[in-house]
Amino acid sequence: MLLYGARRIAWIATTLVVLSVLIFAITQMLPGSVAQIIAGQFASPDSVAAIAAKLGLNDPYYVQYWRWASAVLHGDFGRSLIMERPIGPVLWEALANSAALAGVAFIVVVIVGIGLGVVAAIRAGGALDHAVSLFTFLGVSVPEFFWGIVLILVFSRWLGWLPSGGLADPDSGLAAHAAHVVLPAATLAFALIAHVSRMTRSSMLGVLRSQYVRNARAKGLPERVVIFRHALRNALLPTITILALDVGWLIGGVVVAETVFAYPGLGRALIFSIERHDLPMIQASILVIAAIYCAANLAADLLYAFFNPRIRYG
Amino acid sequence: MADAATIAARPQRRRFRLPPTLLVGLSLTGAVLALAALAPLIAPYPYDEISVLARLKPPSAAHWLGTDDFGRDVLSRTLMGARLSLFMGFGATAICLGVGVPLGLLAGYLRGRTDEFIMRAMDVLMSFPPILLGLLILAVTPPSLWKAMAAVGIVYVPAIVRLARSATLEIAQEEFILAARARGDGTAYILFAEILPNAWPPLAVEAGLRVTFAILLGAALSFLGIGAQPPSSDWGLMISDARPFLEPAPWIALAPGIAMSITVIGINLLGDGLRQILDPELRTGRTG
Amino acid sequence: MAFLSVESLTVEYATPAGPIGALRDVSFSVGKGEALALVGESGSGKSTVALAVLGLLGPEARIVAGRVVFDGRDLLALPQPSLRALRGSRLGIVFQDPFASLNPALPIGAQVAEPLIYHRGVRPADALAKAKAALAEVGLPRPDELLKAYPHQLSGGMQQRVLIAQSLICDPELLILDEPTTALDVTVEAKILDLLDALRRSRGLTMLFITHNLGVVNRICDRACVLYAGSVLEEGPKAATLAAPLHPYTQGLLGSIVSLEAESRARLTPIPGRLPDLRQLPGGCIFHPRCAHVLEACRTEPQLMRPVEGRSVRCWRAGFLPHQAPAPDTAAADGAPKGAPLVAVRDLHKAYPLASRLVIGGPTLLRLQRREVRAVNGVSLTIRAGEVLGLVGESGSGKSTLGQCIARLSDASSGEISFLDRDVTAARGGALRAFRRDVQIIFQNPMSSLNPRRRVGATIGRSLALLGRGRGERAGMIGKLLEAVGLPADYARRYPHQLSGGERQRVSIARALASEPKFIVCDEPISALDVSVQATVLNLLADLRDRLKLAYLFISHDLSAVAHIADRIAVMYAGALLEEGPTAQVLAPPFHPYTEALLSAVPSIDRAHRGDRIRLRGDAGETGEAMKGCPFHRRCPRKIGAICEESAPPLVRPAPAHWIRCHLPVEELRRPTTARLVPAAG
Repeated sequence: MLLYGARRIAWIATTLVVLSVLIFAITQMLPGSVAQIIAGQFASPDSVAAIAAKLGLNDPYYVQYWRWASAVLHGDFGRSLIMERPIGPVLWEALANSAALAGVAFIVVVIVGIGLGVVAAIRAGGALDHAVSLFTFLGVSVPEFFWGIVLILVFSRWLGWLPSGGLADPDSGLAAHAAHVVLPAATLAFALIAHVSRMTRSSMLGVLRSQYVRNARAKGLPERVVIFRHALRNALLPTITILALDVGWLIGGVVVAETVFAYPGLGRALIFSIERHDLPMIQASILVIAAIYCAANLAADLLYAFFNPRIRYG
Repeated sequence: MADAATIAARPQRRRFRLPPTLLVGLSLTGAVLALAALAPLIAPYPYDEISVLARLKPPSAAHWLGTDDFGRDVLSRTLMGARLSLFMGFGATAICLGVGVPLGLLAGYLRGRTDEFIMRAMDVLMSFPPILLGLLILAVTPPSLWKAMAAVGIVYVPAIVRLARSATLEIAQEEFILAARARGDGTAYILFAEILPNAWPPLAVEAGLRVTFAILLGAALSFLGIGAQPPSSDWGLMISDARPFLEPAPWIALAPGIAMSITVIGINLLGDGLRQILDPELRTGRTG
Repeated sequence: MAFLSVESLTVEYATPAGPIGALRDVSFSVGKGEALALVGESGSGKSTVALAVLGLLGPEARIVAGRVVFDGRDLLALPQPSLRALRGSRLGIVFQDPFASLNPALPIGAQVAEPLIYHRGVRPADALAKAKAALAEVGLPRPDELLKAYPHQLSGGMQQRVLIAQSLICDPELLILDEPTTALDVTVEAKILDLLDALRRSRGLTMLFITHNLGVVNRICDRACVLYAGSVLEEGPKAATLAAPLHPYTQGLLGSIVSLEAESRARLTPIPGRLPDLRQLPGGCIFHPRCAHVLEACRTEPQLMRPVEGRSVRCWRAGFLPHQAPAPDTAAADGAPKGAPLVAVRDLHKAYPLASRLVIGGPTLLRLQRREVRAVNGVSLTIRAGEVLGLVGESGSGKSTLGQCIARLSDASSGEISFLDRDVTAARGGALRAFRRDVQIIFQNPMSSLNPRRRVGATIGRSLALLGRGRGERAGMIGKLLEAVGLPADYARRYPHQLSGGERQRVSIARALASEPKFIVCDEPISALDVSVQATVLNLLADLRDRLKLAYLFISHDLSAVAHIADRIAVMYAGALLEEGPTAQVLAPPFHPYTEALLSAVPSIDRAHRGDRIRLRGDAGETGEAMKGCPFHRRCPRKIGAICEESAPPLVRPAPAHWIRCHLPVEELRRPTTARLVPAAG
């Protein structure tokens, strides 16, 4: 287990480095040089060249990369071209908002998704199972952004119960904050709940047919013991992996949901920076998002190894 | 001959009853495909015909689904949008299968360094959340539908490689593969004539799923502004354009959204139905 | 009064194509303290009986009629909670595959203790203590450590013992065992059977023992009940049933079994035909299509159980059947030198790397320990043209690896393989192609040895195509090859799933014959087949050897089968050969201690109980770490001492062509091991 953990950490670190190179390389291909953007449309070639020299844009690529990478490791993400502010604080604030949103959604997904999946498997073939199937089917078929818009239409415009976007004032109470998070979180959660509950259901069904569950029943154990002690433990193992992948979906979904609801999170910041060719901001945002995703994968790997006796005890 | 229990658990090959999901899925998908194919012929108006007088009109006899803020007919735009979405869905899936399946077969069969190299490359690709990779690729060049399709195809390659690899790993253990090597068959023959014919059911099911993912991801990218560009009538773009007018004219957003949902539901049902027919084939001959 | 009585049990499985009858009017009874064997091949429905008794049949199964009376109560009529109370506390069951039956995510102690907690309300701490005692009772070492261990850390034999402990912990009165030793090695099986026998006597258990192995029936049971395609065909006391079977099916079964005791290498008499399709059962007597004594009435009249000589048989002709003459001997004499050497292997090694481990220790505090498994550890042998060398070993001995190296399906790590005096160890290209024409291989598992998507003809045809045969030639040759293995030529159009296991195996043989090889590696070719079918394939292989002058390397864990067909036998353990010689000499003293243990472990039909059974310590050990001394020393009942651990044993030659690798001198080896039932230590 020790070696496994060390290996995974080393691998994630390497991946992050490779990713950072990729990100840097791809964004460097952006047409419309950075210097040009800063100087403005009508600047003379000389002033553009001067700005380029000042920003060190004429240095070889690997020097530029190293400069950027070492700065990042020190927590300095550079300055935004458009907003003309250090990126760091902007990033962290946006990240905090996104984290709140994603966190709420994730908790809902875990509880509702796993719960529905387990119940549907236990009562496979029954009315509840069919209802859950229908619900999950819609969840994977309806596009996220459309679903968000429908929610806005119904709950914000027609019923007027919830705000349609943005964030509450910092000094307003928990209820106001919660109100702003409900719709985006629901949008995020819908598709994921569908996905997670489907996986959990099929995993659980497979386990319920296994020979060790049959053996547990042959021992005359009460059904609830069979399900919760014997079946669930094994059925949830693959779900851990799925949940990790879903963090990826979640991050992607965050980008979309924040755009739909004009929620000031990391995703929206990224989209803005892409629209405005704010190169340093693009690099920083994608790097942070990718890093979070890698961390989530690592956590899932380690959790899986911890709960799977075959890996833990070799 | 196997035990009665095993025979009962193993669905029968003789009786070929099509599951209802398959039939419904087939009809829905077929309908969408037909509408998309005939769109240029049956659309009442050109999709980009602007009419200043007819802006934001609710559904009526002249415009069955109303008009948008440029006065364009929503029905026509929705019909044309079907072509774009299906194009995105099938095109991206074709790319991802064409690249992913051979890579997965190679990795699963050759193992060793080839396998390691391929899988590590896939791991790096998979370290990106799907939308992010798409964003990254599309952020750096002027966006277009073609590029979005390529980006979506690339995003899904790792998943197909993983699946093809794991199917290959399982089949490569079978003794008939060893027998093929023992009689002198080469790698290429074994991969495509012995392994692939046995590996295609899970791949086909996954491909069906990927088509829907590709449609949804492609639409999401257009929604975010980095896929199809105006005045295209891509569904995602239509919904994005409709946002400022949500309250006065909800039909502009609802039409493409519902159309997309129906399309994806149809393909998903088709996939589910296919899985019910193909899955038993996976089980027979293995432990049966 | 019978303790367990099954009366007219009829069970159906629902399928989309209509119901399949799994059990038809099955009746038998077990008295208190008695052990009844339920004997049948695949498709007989014996597992269905076990599941039905316990109420564990799945939703597709429907109990159409019958009763299962246990101690006066009909189990089939009991409500679920009452049935659940009986299961695990008064009725126990041990399933076939121990690894699949244990929950991989829970520690052993918890799983064994569970029935106590839920049936008797014992507190968890006390239950664990009892679990520890139960583990010790079934002969497991270091039970306190095992309590916390997980199933994957145990060997197959140990897992099965855990299952037995688990089923006995609430002191049940009836124990059902569904093929409990089928998945285990012979030496391990022998110890488990000893254990079951001892437990039965000490606890006065009543047993329902389900098996297909008649030797096991002889070893442990009092009475036998023979099942075929869901019907009981014969029932009676074990000795009488095995010595003088009444039903033609039972006679056929006994006639088709290879036995070590058989003096002659007579042809086996397999039962012709195949097991019936349960969806379309033959009318009249269920066995009539395969019966050698069939008459017109057999085809139309359904058969009933009749009492004959104190037993019951479902055959109206039982007791009046003509005696079958013994079959003629097979042609080959044994031991006589054959043609020139065909295959020669010298000092072959094959090692597989394992995942490295991070260990604490060494100069840098943490070091990477690279591990490898030595599957084959310095093996040398020679096979002559027309000769059959039998390679015997249990799981983990490396025999399959050796076979695959010789067939050049995997590369040896070191050593030399030569064919017809040409070195083929590293052959490539043209030389390898030529080699592949002359050397072929047949595999074990009929399910996986044919591509399920290809017709039989296409599979065989591919081999012919690779030889350069044109399309026109191929069709004819495919037909001839199929006929050579006893299948009709029109089978070429069938898919594998339309063939039975035995037929598929014959197609594999046809495929191997396509290139007209001189030498075939047979890797456990009959192990996965039903008993009555094994004989067919074994006969076929013997015939082909005689007609086509083939040489075989016949690999098997089944010593009886090897003894039947091989001219010479080599015994393999942990990657090394321990003994080799002509068959008759290997099967007679002097023995290598391992060979002797193997021979005494095989449950046989003919021998009565022998008290002097040799048992090995422990289960199969860690294979293939580099051994300085004898690879067998850890389990050897005749270990001398340190010399066995430290120096490689020399070759001892009791006869010119027979050698044994042991430190003991020949005279010692001639004397049988004195009865030493060594407990399963270490």
